[in-house]
Amino acid sequence: MKKTILAFFVAGMVLLTTGFWFLSSGEKSPSEWVQFGVIGLIIAFGVFFAFRRLSSARRGEPQEDERSKNVMLKTAALSYYISLYWWVFLLFIKDRIAYDTEVLIGSGILGMAVAFAISWLYFQFRGGHEESN
Amino acid sequence: MKNRIKEFRARFNLTQDELAQKVGVRRETIVFLEKNKYNPSLLLAYKLARVFSVPIEELFLFEEN
Repeated sequence: MKKTILAFFVAGMVLLTTGFWFLSSGEKSPSEWVQFGVIGLIIAFGVFFAFRRLSSARRGEPQEDERSKNVMLKTAALSYYISLYWWVFLLFIKDRIAYDTEVLIGSGILGMAVAFAISWLYFQFRGGHEESN
Repeated sequence: MKNRIKEFRARFNLTQDELAQKVGVRRETIVFLEKNKYNPSLLLAYKLARVFSVPIEELFLFEEN
């Protein structure tokens, strides 16, 4: 239950911070709209994740079992691997395109979150034929 | 690896929820097992075989490709 509360808390904090940023940023550029969209998707993913755990708890199921732990392990490994390449890509473009440092770091963190969400969805719905992995 | 969990579950008149509770996993794990999309750990395989009171090799069918 602690992890569920933590997931809701983190999603709420991100939503609150993004909300302040959205309201204080005034006129928005297309890239800012993209950033808000991606953050929105990540918040939706976090809330979905937390609700899944909550509904499991209500049904009296374990919130984690061997399959969900397996999925999380593979997700962590794949998203770490993707994140390395994502940071290398950002380092590559930083000298070619004039971006502020905070924008680059923000893109890096957002990219990592997106990589994690996509990896989780991939392993969650793909199944998990252990012998073929 | 194929399994006969769905067949045995029907024979024992158990829902996926009930079977999941008996072996201590989430319902979706039972769903993936029945679709042959997940190979369980040895411990879970033994628990499932014990619920249906059958030897493990009767529940899980090994196919060499």
